[in-house]
Amino acid sequence: MSVLEITDIHKSFGDLQVLNGITLHVDEGEVVAIIGPSGGGKSTLLRCATTLEQINSGSIRIGGIELDYKNKKSLAEIRNKFGLVFQNFNLFPHFSVRRNITEALISVHGKSKEEANAICDSLLDKMDLTAKGDAYPCNLSGGQQQRVSIARALATSPEILFFDEPTSALDPELTIGVLNVIKELAREKMTMVIVTHEMSFARDVADRIIFMNGGVIVEEGPAAELINNPKQERTRAFLSGYSD
Amino acid sequence: MNWDQLLSITKQLGQGFEFTVGIFFFTILFSIPLGLLIARGRMAKNPVVSAIFSIYISIMRGTPLMLQLLLVYFGPYYIFGVSTGSIEIGPFNYRFVATVIGFSLNYAAYFAEIFRGGIQSMPNGQYEAAQVLGFSKMQTYFKIILPQVIKRVLPSVTNEVITLVKDTSLAQVLSVTEMFTVAKNLASAQVSVMPFIVAGVFYYVFNALVEFGMNRLEKSMSYYS
Repeated sequence: MSVLEITDIHKSFGDLQVLNGITLHVDEGEVVAIIGPSGGGKSTLLRCATTLEQINSGSIRIGGIELDYKNKKSLAEIRNKFGLVFQNFNLFPHFSVRRNITEALISVHGKSKEEANAICDSLLDKMDLTAKGDAYPCNLSGGQQQRVSIARALATSPEILFFDEPTSALDPELTIGVLNVIKELAREKMTMVIVTHEMSFARDVADRIIFMNGGVIVEEGPAAELINNPKQERTRAFLSGYSD
Repeated sequence: MNWDQLLSITKQLGQGFEFTVGIFFFTILFSIPLGLLIARGRMAKNPVVSAIFSIYISIMRGTPLMLQLLLVYFGPYYIFGVSTGSIEIGPFNYRFVATVIGFSLNYAAYFAEIFRGGIQSMPNGQYEAAQVLGFSKMQTYFKIILPQVIKRVLPSVTNEVITLVKDTSLAQVLSVTEMFTVAKNLASAQVSVMPFIVAGVFYYVFNALVEFGMNRLEKSMSYYS
């Protein structure tokens, strides 16, 4: 069953057509990486899927719920279905790590403090941040902050997790910890859509890779195949820039 | 000048000081929430609403506070024929009430611009993170945005609060017997500058306390950056 069903969506900013008929279905347990040049519409696609931008036409379903901007209740329901990890983390700087992870559980999902703390503790364990619950984001490295934001996105048990270039704001040596966490999630069959510039990571972690350019999906296929034997000229040209 | 005289000056100024503190306290109490509302109005998407609040701020900042106080006090009678002499709210006569209204309306305009700067300096990512996590607009504002805005605007707010302490002396135009009015009367009665010097000490000590308090508040929020 598809957790995410994006069907023929269009999005423009003024005269600029950014998404030009994108259709993308992601099955439960599947990991999809989206690659492509800057300005090709990757991030906009992710922002549309996560309700941060409104699409002009087409439809989006997550976890069986149809996105309808006018229906507040369905908006709230659909936001319960996914988690989003931002490029710049967007942690709440005035909250401790613990409160960053537990606040939505308590004040949006009505969990008790004890329940929320238990969820938080197990996530901190998983993210290798066991002792960091009382720290504040400003005291953590970029890699640690990104792992906190992954924990925050996971706290509400979403059916699908979106990543918007999760390592682009990190120093190279800090990316490894974050990428390992995502690989671990993939092993646990977490459904994920990852916009990334890390080609070798995309090949290793993704089941399927989407190459986007000019607001359309130029090519898609099994990860290794697309990276090693791209069929489209544009894909080849793009990948030749990454010679790892 | 002897100690008895000094003590008597201090005592009399102390009585006026109660009004000074009263004006200060009530102005802070009303102008800060009002300033938040005006800031929101100023940032409204509706261009008419935004223009109204921006004109309000412009007038309040562009005309003398003393003139505004006189308008609030005399306006009801001269414009609407409403007699204000008998108005009393609790222990406060209309002179005092008008002073607080005038100060609050004026300071709210300054606070509104400070808050607007603070709110607009918040990165969009904070709103987006709150939105995808499911926080309501109210929760986002009160839990995520406002606490961070308070930290950002505190130094500018401290500036305004310190100015307010000194501005309370403007209440003399409405003959409110706050400390400065008392000092002026004493000075002319005693033909001495001593009351002014003592009043200066009062203002300075008051502001030293305000500064101390605001610094404590700032420190209490310095656990994050």
